[in-house]
Amino acid sequence: MAPLLKVENLRIELATRAGVAPVIDNLNLELGHGESISFVGESGCGKSMTALAIMGLLPEGIGRVASGSIQFDGEELTTASPRRLREIRGNEISMIFQEPMTSLNPVYTVGEQIAEVLRAHQGLSQKAAWKQAIELLNAVQIPNPKSRMESYPFQMSGGQRQRVMIAIALACTPKILIADEPTTALDVTVQAQIFDLLRDLRAQTGTSIIMITHDMGAVAEMSERMIVMYAGRKAEEGPVDQVIARARHPYTHGLISCVPHIVANLTEERQDLTEVPGIVPGLSEFGQDLCLFSSRCPRVTDQCRQARPPEAHFGNSRISACWHAEEL
Amino acid sequence: MSDLLDVQNLSVRFGVRRKGGFFAKPTYLTAVDDISFTVRKGETLAIVGESGSGKTTAALAIARLVSGLTSGKILLEGRDLLPLDREDLKDMRQKVQVIFQDPYSSLNPRKRAEDIVREPLDSLTDKSISEKREIVDGLFKAVGLHPEQKRLFPHQFSGGQRQRIGIARALSTQPEVIICDEPVSALDVAVQAQILNLLRRLQTEFGLTYVFISHDLGVVQHMCDSVAVMYMGKIVEHADRLSLFNNPLHPYTAALLSAVPSVDPMLREQSRRILIPGDPPDPLDLPKGCRFASRCPVAEARCRDVAPRLKLAGSNHRAACHLVEDETSPLAGIRS
Repeated sequence: MAPLLKVENLRIELATRAGVAPVIDNLNLELGHGESISFVGESGCGKSMTALAIMGLLPEGIGRVASGSIQFDGEELTTASPRRLREIRGNEISMIFQEPMTSLNPVYTVGEQIAEVLRAHQGLSQKAAWKQAIELLNAVQIPNPKSRMESYPFQMSGGQRQRVMIAIALACTPKILIADEPTTALDVTVQAQIFDLLRDLRAQTGTSIIMITHDMGAVAEMSERMIVMYAGRKAEEGPVDQVIARARHPYTHGLISCVPHIVANLTEERQDLTEVPGIVPGLSEFGQDLCLFSSRCPRVTDQCRQARPPEAHFGNSRISACWHAEEL
Repeated sequence: MSDLLDVQNLSVRFGVRRKGGFFAKPTYLTAVDDISFTVRKGETLAIVGESGSGKTTAALAIARLVSGLTSGKILLEGRDLLPLDREDLKDMRQKVQVIFQDPYSSLNPRKRAEDIVREPLDSLTDKSISEKREIVDGLFKAVGLHPEQKRLFPHQFSGGQRQRIGIARALSTQPEVIICDEPVSALDVAVQAQILNLLRRLQTEFGLTYVFISHDLGVVQHMCDSVAVMYMGKIVEHADRLSLFNNPLHPYTAALLSAVPSVDPMLREQSRRILIPGDPPDPLDLPKGCRFASRCPVAEARCRDVAPRLKLAGSNHRAACHLVEDETSPLAGIRS
């Protein structure tokens, strides 16, 4: 079957004071029907920018698709009219954001906000939309959905607000749900609830999920495949468990081993965490013909500083953009 | 080793006004409710819990940085910090310093890095200018910043470097205790490791005692020597590192641990997630029994009627649950 979403040779340029920088530099990816993938990386690596490009929400006048294509269900999105994109957004592809407080309107009740989506996209009447909204609140497991419809966002807890966001995002049963760090602002027990909810809804509706995160644990819980991004480029791609078991890019390895993971059967022994020295390069350094991770990489050689590494393909559709991928 | 910090029956209350407006009687929100714990010199006590559990309030109360009504005793080397005022407080502030969560908002944007680091020395000590300069130079080196960066302003640093400035500032008065309030949660994952390693290195180097506040159990597991788990203002479990992580007794602790997403497929298979439904109770309308009872998977009638006290459940292990018996979690039966 053809993939639901196909991104080819995508290049997104951002106008900065210092000139034009490629925030996304020749990115390829595919998302299957009902599949869940994760974009992983530090801030400033282009994860959210990729998502915004798919949604047609690049910052106007600053960011633009310079070349490449984004095909959704066979339809080219980079050249689609704003009107068509508006139809797709919310209906076919929707998104939930990190901070559920700032993405809900504080002066409307949550019921009004969910019903609005249904009226705008599905042309439901006021009454039908209201009724449907109650069912959605019920589907995201908010207790007493009928009375909660009248609540304002500030009257709800963070977890409940994120549930409302999910209800809005799923109102029109989209084919793709993009979740941009959906649980970063939430407590772990609430995070667990939200993950369970997303998994259940995905099983019921067959929605594909793109999750953006920096938490490898969350990736392992939620996705089958992951794409590790660094400085606007794909560093590594592959099935989650395989990548975690054996990373084929030093950056991926660094991301996994720099985090103290909860372990079963803890012992007295404690070692220093592996450090990835330095920070993600600034936008002005993006796009150079070298490995952009070379300045922080423990395995760096001259080759890395001289040319951008090509994407090496391995079995199980694994990809690594590292000159030394073979040795890893 | 001896207890450096001994907190006894600490409570913090904040006055809040509910319905009824100006003339309504103020009611009180008890953010920290009668908690006691000790920290040995050179060790790290982690206080974990979710937002609203009172962990930050408890820690900041130790640094005398909360405005609420505080009662109980906070003994540092045997001396109670709570009744101190003015000059005595200055002395105390040299000994207890804080590293804050957000390195973006906790540094004055109009001051240079060296001035920020030197500030506690200016306001709390009467050292000479040359002494202070020497100390600041040493601190820059200790936290891994270049001496040339001394004249820069906070916005010229990355998040990790800013946190290093915050750490240098906290170290300037040679404190005994440092309260680390979520010191890495605002940082990128790769930078977190740099700061955590630095904190551990400094601890050994200067014999520091940390009270480490975090909601990230992975970080806590790596950093702590003992852990206090808080829920709705109460300590529900308190144990040394190995006992707490290997044998969590309180159902809330077990649920908290099982909620952490794991990269280890084995661990994911093994530990079935203990889901706790719903949200915590309203802090202004707390139940009379156990505060966790409404969400607890094994709660019984007595849990809703009588509040459990924190009691010894093993060596160096205390838990506040009616159902914990002889180092056995009440969840032992339902967890496979």
